Amino acid sequence: MLRPTLTLARKDLKLMASGGQGLIQAALLGLLLIFVFSLSRPAGEVVPAQGAAAIFWLASAFGQVLVFNGLYSLEELTGARLGLLLSPAPRHALWLGKALAGFFLLLACQVLFAPAVVVFLGQDILDWPTWGLTVLVVDWGLVALGSLLGALAQGQAARESLLTVILFPLLLPLLLSAIKLTAGVFSGQAPEGYEQWLGMALAFDALFSGAAIFLFPFVYGGEE
Amino acid sequence: MRTTDAPMTKVLPLLAALALTAAQYAIWRYAPVEATMGLVQKIFYYHLPMSWWAMVSFFIVFAASIAYLVKRDPRWDRLAGAAAEIGVLLATLALVTGSLWARPIWNTWWTWDPRLTTTLIMWFVYAAYLLLRSAEAGGARGPTVRAVLGVVAFLDVPLVFYSARMWRSVHPAVFGAKGGGLEPEMWTTVLVSVSAFGLLWLWMLLARVAQLSQAQRLDALMVWDEEDR
Repeated sequence: MLRPTLTLARKDLKLMASGGQGLIQAALLGLLLIFVFSLSRPAGEVVPAQGAAAIFWLASAFGQVLVFNGLYSLEELTGARLGLLLSPAPRHALWLGKALAGFFLLLACQVLFAPAVVVFLGQDILDWPTWGLTVLVVDWGLVALGSLLGALAQGQAARESLLTVILFPLLLPLLLSAIKLTAGVFSGQAPEGYEQWLGMALAFDALFSGAAIFLFPFVYGGEE
Repeated sequence: MRTTDAPMTKVLPLLAALALTAAQYAIWRYAPVEATMGLVQKIFYYHLPMSWWAMVSFFIVFAASIAYLVKRDPRWDRLAGAAAEIGVLLATLALVTGSLWARPIWNTWWTWDPRLTTTLIMWFVYAAYLLLRSAEAGGARGPTVRAVLGVVAFLDVPLVFYSARMWRSVHPAVFGAKGGGLEPEMWTTVLVSVSAFGLLWLWMLLARVAQLSQAQRLDALMVWDEEDR
């Protein structure tokens, strides 16, 4: 299962890097969000760490929706979905491959978002190990669910707005963990219940990775 | 599973009407007026049944979604759809009545309580689910897509509840204190009200499922008709 997964992820990353619209759109929207939110900061005051963390993860969540819309539309645009389904790769490998590609694309967006938060919102990243861990754990949760529900965008039903409405409430537990942990990174003080919040994010990752493995074959099929 | 059960849909509304009348009597005449909250506490007898049956509805969406994924029988999809509609309606009413109660008692319309947050998030998720239904997203795969969402949405509930509780861990257990202080007459009233709402809920669910399957039949007949010409 691993080989087709990696092949698919590599193919998607290459296509997205060479002019896929999803990535650039996601990065631009996220940067714009961070900038616009910086206007809520009164002159001479800093944005509270928790507020900045919320803005960062909101930008990431919107970015993730656009990234997966782009990833799944790669096949739709060229009518290659049937080819993908006919290939000997198990369907779970398709979910994992898309999730993996989405993971790296989201990280690429966040490489831009993090300095934007530092510049526009006046934050400092004070706790690098926690920062790295938080981004990896939370991003996996985002892409696990994003890759499952992003497949909804296949066929005629492709509507980003609809996907956002469905995805965001489901992401709430993950976003709360992410905001708490990131606020700790920005303020330099570990949040109360640090292990519990990390555990919550990990539980989210595990639950929705498991659910996606079971449910993805239903979502991604040959029908229009 | 039978979707159109005529005697049930005739007897049930009658039973529901009688039970609701009895519940009104119990709420306004039988149950004592609460000492500190006064009349406002009576909202509780409407609020609790509505939120409970909303949760039951969402559980039915989950169970029917699994049944659909296993059996691929469109009747399960219709049951899930009907349950989602009633669940969103009851959750809306539960949120509104809860807010009306909280304003004089907690002195705020809204607070970050795990139950409130969980109900609101479920309201968002199932409202989106209904949007997906009405948009007929997914075309021929629509029922499958909805069933997957029905499963995923319910899996999220425990996580939402625990994360909301962790977010404001200082929040006092207001609900626990409130539930513990009920008089025996109040308990009876709660039970009567929950059962009455249950009958109403069951009738609405069955009636809606029957409606949806009739709509399905009509659609099928129209296709036949067009093919004949």
